[in-house]
Amino acid sequence: MIPWPVHYYRPDQWADALDLYQQLTRAGRSPRYYLGGTEIITMARTDSQPVSDLIDLKGIPEIMAHGQDGDWLYWGAGLSLARVAELDAWPVLTATADRVADHTSREQITLGGNCLSIMPYKEALVPFMLPDRVMIEVATSQGLMTVPLHDRFDGSWHLAPGEFLLSLRVLKEEARSLVFRSYKMTRLDWVDYPLVTVVVVRDPDGQIRAGFSGWGPHPLVSSQVNALLSDRSATPAARAAAAIAAMPTPALDDLHASRAYRTFVTQHTLALIIRELEE
Amino acid sequence: MTSIGANIPRKEAPNKVTGRARYTRDLYRPGTLYALIVPAHIAHARLLAVDTREARALAGVKAVLTGADAPFLTGDVIEDHPPLARDKVRYWGEPVALVVARDMATAQQAAALVHCTYDPLPVVNSIEDALRADAPLVHEAVGSYTIATPPASPRPHSNIADEANVTKGDSDGALKASDVIVQVHVSLPQIDHAAMEPRVATAEILADGRVLIETSSQAPFEVQKLVAQYFQLDPGQVTVSVPLVGGAFGGKASVQLEVLAYLASHAVGGRVVTLANPREVDMESSPVGLGLEADVTLGATQEGRLTAAILRFYLDVGAYADSAPRIARAIAAQCTGPYRIDHVHADVYAVYTNHTYTTAFRGFGHMPMTFAIERAMDELAQRLSIDPLDLRQRNALRPGDRTPTKARLTPSNLGSLSETIERLKPLIGWNGGEPYPVAPHRIRAQGVAAFWKTSSSPPNATSGAIVTMNADGSVNLSIGAVEFGSGAKTTAAQILAEALRIPVSRVFIHEAVNTDTDPEHWKTVASLSTYMVGRAVLDAAQDVVRQLKSLAAVVLRCAPEDLDYGNETVFVRDDPSIKLTYADLALGYQYPEGDSIGGQIIGRGRFMIRHLNLLDQETGHGRPGPAWTVGVQAVEIEYDDLTHQYRLLKAATVLDAGHVINPAIAHGQVRGGMAMGLGIASREAVRYGPQGEFLTNQFRSYKVLRLGEQPDAYLVEFVTNPQVDAPFGARPLGEHGVLAIGAALANALSRATNMSINQLPITPELIWQQRRNAP
Amino acid sequence: MKTLTGPTHIQLTINGEPRDVFIEPHYTLLDLLRHPLVGLTGAKPGCENGDCGACTVLLNQKPVKSCMMFAVDAEGKTVLTVEGLVDTPVQRAFLKHFAFQCGYCTSGFLLVAHALLHEIPHPDRHQITEWLRSNICRCTSYEEILAAVHEASES
Repeated sequence: MIPWPVHYYRPDQWADALDLYQQLTRAGRSPRYYLGGTEIITMARTDSQPVSDLIDLKGIPEIMAHGQDGDWLYWGAGLSLARVAELDAWPVLTATADRVADHTSREQITLGGNCLSIMPYKEALVPFMLPDRVMIEVATSQGLMTVPLHDRFDGSWHLAPGEFLLSLRVLKEEARSLVFRSYKMTRLDWVDYPLVTVVVVRDPDGQIRAGFSGWGPHPLVSSQVNALLSDRSATPAARAAAAIAAMPTPALDDLHASRAYRTFVTQHTLALIIRELEE
Repeated sequence: MTSIGANIPRKEAPNKVTGRARYTRDLYRPGTLYALIVPAHIAHARLLAVDTREARALAGVKAVLTGADAPFLTGDVIEDHPPLARDKVRYWGEPVALVVARDMATAQQAAALVHCTYDPLPVVNSIEDALRADAPLVHEAVGSYTIATPPASPRPHSNIADEANVTKGDSDGALKASDVIVQVHVSLPQIDHAAMEPRVATAEILADGRVLIETSSQAPFEVQKLVAQYFQLDPGQVTVSVPLVGGAFGGKASVQLEVLAYLASHAVGGRVVTLANPREVDMESSPVGLGLEADVTLGATQEGRLTAAILRFYLDVGAYADSAPRIARAIAAQCTGPYRIDHVHADVYAVYTNHTYTTAFRGFGHMPMTFAIERAMDELAQRLSIDPLDLRQRNALRPGDRTPTKARLTPSNLGSLSETIERLKPLIGWNGGEPYPVAPHRIRAQGVAAFWKTSSSPPNATSGAIVTMNADGSVNLSIGAVEFGSGAKTTAAQILAEALRIPVSRVFIHEAVNTDTDPEHWKTVASLSTYMVGRAVLDAAQDVVRQLKSLAAVVLRCAPEDLDYGNETVFVRDDPSIKLTYADLALGYQYPEGDSIGGQIIGRGRFMIRHLNLLDQETGHGRPGPAWTVGVQAVEIEYDDLTHQYRLLKAATVLDAGHVINPAIAHGQVRGGMAMGLGIASREAVRYGPQGEFLTNQFRSYKVLRLGEQPDAYLVEFVTNPQVDAPFGARPLGEHGVLAIGAALANALSRATNMSINQLPITPELIWQQRRNAP
Repeated sequence: MKTLTGPTHIQLTINGEPRDVFIEPHYTLLDLLRHPLVGLTGAKPGCENGDCGACTVLLNQKPVKSCMMFAVDAEGKTVLTVEGLVDTPVQRAFLKHFAFQCGYCTSGFLLVAHALLHEIPHPDRHQITEWLRSNICRCTSYEEILAAVHEASES
């Protein structure tokens, strides 16, 4: 329950949502978009973050769509993680999305909600950080824009107030060409936040790219780390160690794990994955 | 047609699979207002002001209470606990105010509008902090509190809430003479009961002065007594009712929300007020289970015969004493584990800290105590190169031995640990405890640990039973034991059915407890219901039989001694065709002519444990419970020495159950205890930040075992040496699955890793850290 | 555009019965179900944070944690609560296997298991685990619950 009165709106078109957001903001209110609602409800229980208006985006057709558009695979931000896994259009996304929270919760948590979560993890976004070409569709005051993911996400999201994510897209051919591993490592429990989720793909040229969730305050991919991981002249263990040494930020130190242990787990997992991918 | 030993489904089972089972929060009364605790978000501070103006001004807020509205101290043993913080805050989560509003949402808004002004004090954030010579005091007045239920020995000008000692023989001398000495220090965090139903209480004060309290409590009669005492009421004015309870584990034996709910109702003219803890408040503001630091020194002969024990237990009881003095004495009384040691000295200190206060937790202190002893036993076995199970067998307490408090042990009050150990070997496939590799970097190991426990109940604990007969000869059973999942009601019904020689389906038992109509049962704790309620039920059944026979004797024109009963009839022993049915007699007997004699058959039974006494404050000698339940547990794990992760393969328990009244329920209780114990040992911990911040107030941070994380196999067997004075010989077993399983896990992992793992929870990170720090 | 700025009513089907119920926009589905006007208290508040699963109900046959969704999101959908389960194989198996003690988590487990068997009539142990680990039981060892679901899947 959100313990204060809120207003609820369910626009049927993306443009209406944008207008509404602007109107409410101009009126001095604090609107929030939502899809599944899990995070907004959770946060409202412990924060007194002012949310005055809920704008439910699930009525917008584009946000619930999925499928193939020419050479592109796309997923609407409003699809539940369970639905994303069930569609299984991109196995690395399936594997990663299917390890978020628990089975029941994945019926409610949406792809967009997870990717834009205020939590550090955003696991479902990590697979999208790995291919060369990933586009997102954003509703903006200039209209619908399809832009490269990295234009709007570089660790943090860059969406202007009122803008929202409609869908994520990858090139089908590229997506399918990637061999992958996606391992979520936790303190102990299957259902828990990740100490680290390591998603690694190998492209047809043998180049390795790794994405990490839980390592730092945002999911991250580093070209330097990828270069070290791809250096076949070294052993997997040595490459993992070099990659860890080159991580752009130190590992988080929190309730789930100390920095040193998180580093150990990540390094071990990386080495394991490289061995598996190259066997 | 025996009900004893049969897998009788829980009486309330159909309700529990249809959503018809009602718990406190499911009972809505028209006009209900909602109260909410406002928890302090500081661990130790002078409370300079609580500004409630803004909260009061919010539409729909009916009252906001602070410490000034509750100018008295509460406490089961030591009265050290203001219901709402007054002058001082002593733990993160301590209630500083109570808001009452027309609905839950308004209450939540109002809670956020209560503003406290604090003057922070240095935080006592560990036992070590608390024991420093210059430690800040959690309670400045520690020496001068009223002791409501002696004994308790608070030490003035210290953080020692209480201490209990036991001395037997000459431990120093015997230790010096020992061939071998092992010393172990163990460190266990506080843990949360985490019952699935958060605590909740509803209170209403009627115009005629009656007080109606509905609560998720294990101790309705204690609630009645204390509410009457704190608010100067006659106990008879206070009606406490408890419907089904959604798990308790000791955490609902303490009286807290009921007092607050009364205060809230009183503040709004007696209207119905429900105070339901959100999970976060339930974890940080209501009591948790104690933490422990312990030093164990064991001496033994070369042959592995224990000669001496010197033991020091420091309990992190948090900010208020609650049951800690009782728990301290329970630990002292059983301090050696189930082993014969002739020379013992134990000191148990209940230590105040700025942590959440603690209360009973399944096992009443025996789980952490057992962990300490059983780790030391395994270290000793390793030192002597003796099979750890053999070491336990060699030292197992036997009838004729005496406990640390010099209570005499008999076959009836002890049962046989020795037999349980022999039964465990084939059950787990005991291999002597040596770890062995099963694949590269994969090591399997087994660990064992033994336990004993008695009730540590007050010597005047009492229980009652009332049986009324219906017109058709079926019976209604009324008892004061709460049903929180242990099957207390069903077990009592089985005992009555057996005693009256009727099917258990002919016994009707309501799932709630109501202090107006049900006879007193001390508290539904200590696994005692079967014993205490069972004895009261047997007493009531005898009363029923006596009434049936005496009435039938008149009608059948014979002596009552000529009569026997069965098949819902009372009949002449030598000619069973001369008989009356229970139905003929239930509401009095009516002759064919119409005139009648007798009246309703109403059986009355009661029970009080005999021969218990308070432990002597000097020597600690005395008898802490009617009997002990003993047993042994084992865990088999597979450890990966690269990742330091481990898998639970098997968990086994053999305990002396005396006699099993309901095998399905008994096995379920023991397995459930094992699951909880494995969860506690592997992942559970209340954690505090550097300033005493309570960090684990949700299931996202306080992790409990989920499905998929359990061992591949739970193995449970019972040996059955009857406890002669217990109903059908049945020993208590509700708590016991939890007692030593964590120690068994630590023993297995210590062997697999070749390190001494002496703290909980044993996460892969802990093993990794310890391995990294190893020389 | 659907707009709710205060108490209003929505239509949905609860346990097979079309209902027109009052809600406030901030209500969760759990708030709605347990409201005295609806009175379905089988869904239990255990954490109200999406962690324990005691409030699980089925929404269009899929398990959801009713504490974690807004009531308005159930508009036009079908909700099945434990009160709507009548003599199902899962309930019978839970009874037979003593798959509960205190019973507080039971409705959530029943509904997850019921949905599982609807979607996957003969789940393997891994599937059972994956679905049921969404819920917490503090009393049992889970063995009894597993045995019950296993048996129900064979009937």
